[in-house]
This record gives sequence, C-alpha cells and structure tokens, in this order.
Amino acid sequence: MTRRQFIPLVAAAATGGYASLKLQKPPKVPDGPPGSSAVAIVRARSYSEDLVSHMLAGVRQCGLDARGKKVLLKPNLVEFDSATVINTDASIIAAAVEVFHRLGASEVKIGEGPGHRRDTLDLADDAGYRSNIPKFESIFTDLNRDDVAAVHGFAGEPDFYFAKTVLAADLIVSLAKMKTHHWAGATLSMKNFFGLVPGSIYGWPKNKLHYIGIPESVVELNRTFRNTFAIVDGVVGMEGNGPIQGTPKHSGVLVMGSDLVAVDATCCRIMGLDPEKVDYLRMAADLGHVHPERIEQRGETIASVQSNFALIEEFQHLRLV
Amino acid sequence: MSSVGGVYLESRLKFLRRTQNPDGGWGYFPDKQSWFEPTTYAMLALQGTPGTDASLDRAFKLLRSWQTPDGSSRPSGEVQGGTWVTAQAVTLACVRGIYDDKVRNSVDWLLRVVGAESSAAMRAAAFFHLLKTKADFSHEGWPWRDGNASWVEPTAQALVALKKVSKKNRSPELDRRVSEGEALLLSRRCSDGGWNQGNPNVLNYDLPSYPETTALALLGLQGRSHAELDQPLALAARFRAETRSSLARAWLVIALRCHGGDPQPAGQDTSASSDIMLTALEALGHPEGNYGLLRTGAPA
Repeated sequence: MTRRQFIPLVAAAATGGYASLKLQKPPKVPDGPPGSSAVAIVRARSYSEDLVSHMLAGVRQCGLDARGKKVLLKPNLVEFDSATVINTDASIIAAAVEVFHRLGASEVKIGEGPGHRRDTLDLADDAGYRSNIPKFESIFTDLNRDDVAAVHGFAGEPDFYFAKTVLAADLIVSLAKMKTHHWAGATLSMKNFFGLVPGSIYGWPKNKLHYIGIPESVVELNRTFRNTFAIVDGVVGMEGNGPIQGTPKHSGVLVMGSDLVAVDATCCRIMGLDPEKVDYLRMAADLGHVHPERIEQRGETIASVQSNFALIEEFQHLRLV
Repeated sequence: MSSVGGVYLESRLKFLRRTQNPDGGWGYFPDKQSWFEPTTYAMLALQGTPGTDASLDRAFKLLRSWQTPDGSSRPSGEVQGGTWVTAQAVTLACVRGIYDDKVRNSVDWLLRVVGAESSAAMRAAAFFHLLKTKADFSHEGWPWRDGNASWVEPTAQALVALKKVSKKNRSPELDRRVSEGEALLLSRRCSDGGWNQGNPNVLNYDLPSYPETTALALLGLQGRSHAELDQPLALAARFRAETRSSLARAWLVIALRCHGGDPQPAGQDTSASSDIMLTALEALGHPEGNYGLLRTGAPA
C-alpha cells in the first residue's frame, strides 16, 4: 500500500489515527513560479483594535486591486464553541466586509460550508457573526447547501461540484484562522478552501477529500480557484491538538497576500513550523512561493512576531530549527 | 393541541406547501434548486395532510427520476452519481407503501455498499496497531458516497430504511447488514454515550458527541434494548435542553419521540425559518406531526 493510498484510509476512518509516516530527508522544494510574492504581516494585538485600518494597510501593501470585483469572503467556521478560538473571529469578518467595500468591490458576500456541523446558520449565530456583521443574513450563503454546478477534471474526477456562489466570485478571500491541524500539520489560508466543497454531495465531513488525500485536496482546490487573496487571523490562533481541540495561542498578527502558498509558508514560520516539511506546501510549490528569498515580506518581520505553536507528537518533526 | 401548538405546526406545513418548486421538489431554501434531502423531509412532513396528494406524487416522481442505473439515487438533478440519499428513497417508498423494482434496486445498492474502512487493508492496519485509534473496524456501515468510509449519519439513515423495508421483504443479508450497522454504531459511541460524526477518538484524544448525530444514531438504533440505549437517550434529552443548534434540536425531538419520549417541540417560534429542511424536521417532530413515519422498531 502506498502512502497516498494509506493516509486517506486512515483519515477517512474519521478520524482514525495517523500513520506517522514522516519524510526523513525531504528533497528540496522547487523554486515555484517566476518572480516573487508580497506577504504583509500586520500587528493586531486584539480584536478590539482598528482592524479595518490594519487590514487596509496590509491589503494595500500587497497591491491588491478589488475594484469592481464580486468578492466572496470565506471564513473558517467550524464549531459551536464561542468560548474558544476555533472559528475566524467575527470582528475579522466584519472588518473584511468593510475593507472590500472601501476597496471598490462591486459585491461582498460571505460563504462557508462547515466540515462537521450541519447547522451552518446557527453555527454562524453562535460565533457572533449575525450580531457583529451588518446585514449578515442577506450576504451569507451556506456553501454546503447552495445550488451547485460541476467543474470538470478536479483531482481527476470527471465532475466535481461546487456552490454556484463560489463559482460566481471574481475574488475569493480566505479569512482563515492560524491553527495547528492534527492531519495536515497546520490549517491556514489554503486548507480553509475545504469549506468550498458542498456537504450536500460529499457529506459531513467531506470524506471524498480524504480519499483524494488531504494535502492533494488542499493543492487541487487552490489550483482550481486562482483568483484568491488571504487574510489569516492570527490575532489569537490555536496550538496543540487543532483544529478543534487545541488551546488558544496569541500571536497578535494578520498575515495577508495574493499568493496563498507564500502566506501559509509565512504563517508556518511565524508558528515555528518549517513550511518545507508541510506536505501540502511542498506539493503546492508550483502554485506559489515557499522559499523565504522569494517572498517579499511587508510590514512586520517574521522574527519580530514569531512564537512557537505547540505541536502534537505526530508533528514534532515539522518544528523549524 | 393548543392553539400555539397548532399555529407552530400549521405555519410550517403552510411554508412547505408554498415553497415546493415547479419541478415537484424542494430546495434547501426557497427558490433554490431541488434536492433529494429537503424534498424527503418536506414529503414526510406533509404526508397525509389535506390537499397534498397530487403535490407529493409529483415530488415522488421527481425523486424516482433521479435513480441511477446502479440503483443509487442522485442528491439532486444537477448532480451525477448516487449518494447516501438512496436510503431516503427506500424510506419514502416504504412510507408510500411502494415496493417495486426501483425500490428493490435501491435496497440492493444499500446491501452492496460498505464503508471502505472495512477493507482488508484497513483491518490489517488496525490488527498490526498501525492506527492510533480506538475504532473498531470489524463492522460494516455505510458511507456518504460509495468508496468512502462509514459515518454515523449515513449508517443511521440506511438502518432506518432497511428496517422499514424489512416489513415487506426480509432477507438474511438484510438482517446481517442491519446487525452490522447497529454494531458499528454501538462501537462508535463517545465516552459520554453519544456520537460524533465518525469515531469517538482521534490520535488518542476523545471526541465529544454531537447532538444531531446522537439523535440520528438513536433513530438508527430503534428496536435495541433499553439497557443499551438508556445512556444515549438520557444524553439526548439533555442535549435537547442545551443545544444551540435548531437542526440538532429538531432531530433530537424526532428521535426521542420515536423512542417513546414526549419532549417539548423543537422550536418556540410559531413562524417557520427560511430553512426548508429544518422547517420540515420541526413539523415532523411536533406532537401531531409525522415523526411516526420514521419509527422502525427492530427488523420485522
């Protein structure tokens, strides 16, 4: 049995166990596409700060042009547990709505398809989205239960389905949470796109993605959706047994950029993880930049905000040395 | 029935009557494309209510048109390939008293499809302790889609369907799959007695149970002994009082009623939400609703 065949089997058992098949000496990650990518690190010590200004500064540092675009904000909404840091904070989403309106977007919507809990609207309510985001109900779509259309060739599948709200967007903004993840090592802007896949077809969780392979699916989703931007909520992230059962970790940063590979690689370095050892980032090297010399760091330096996130035993080998 | 209770139920049924699509189905939300799942629950909620026979016939015809040559049902007309909703096709047919070749094909598909974790490779991996899990892979359940692993919800849906169809056509294989499916659910209880979506444990961390999956598992386990279900039923009653999920509350009320309980209705509001599936489930769980259509007891 190959590793690719084995890991999905394990993951698919919901959760069964991880085979700890570690890469001993991973080959060098390819250089990626030509040129370099801008990634902004902006300090935001708490959710009560002026997040709109912070976000606008970061977005402008990355040179994003959102004028006239239909923007879909994709938060990371996972669990009924408002007392913890599982979900992207409501204040981040509210700020992003305002930021993209100010940047001239023709439309700003929010969409999410949680992986485990089916009651998306109550989940959003519980996470404070309805009370903190103006006109939330009129701009939010449950991507698990939206109308769908087929995309051909996703992960070798003749037809793979996505919500029409996703397919209609000119720009998808991944409003991810900075968290460790018990299968992928870390869950950041790229893995957040699991929530674009409709549960109405693939189930809760979207087990088909486990069978394609978790890192493979992360890469394939990001290969399919290229008009993207990331704003990672690292104000308070999650360390340890993420993405649900970990503990809060204050990092006090927002990390932004149009190259989601570079954004996630930067987040990994902030978290004390070596992005070159994270499977999905290694596999995504043709989509964006992992190497630090190809990432133009704007705003704060990594060193000034870096703080190791605790890792479960299975991922100790990812620690940046 | 109190007038408030009457308004609660009638407002939901009225909403469902109003939101049926021209093709006969229901979307998850009004004016959206028809899907198998909300159509199933809307049909169950409206079954037997005055003046709905023709509209339910249209809905049933639509759902039957989504059956694929392998016997499975597509989740909507826009999607190719069958999924777990095949179990709902069987349940609906039983409710409507139909047992024909189409239903037999659906049942055959359910009897054929097994969660991929039951494969020899996975069992071997478990045997050699290659998996850091407490999961028991020796039982056969049902996946969301053929070729994937077993999960609690599709297993529970398949159990309801097979137990209902067993009243018409029982076979040794059907009995075996029901027994296996029940064993899988019982083996996957979380430490608090309820159910997560899949296994109770990941990487040696216990997972919490979820209210909605606990309700669905209890539906699938109808007919099992009180001794086996006392703890999860007590947990379900607690979840009913505490959960912040309207959907979970609706499923819990239905499950508790199917097990002989008399919980308060799922919602307080006399007006229906815009969520068609939720509205249908709330109507089903009303004391005068059609929750009994999901009663199965043990296999006949």
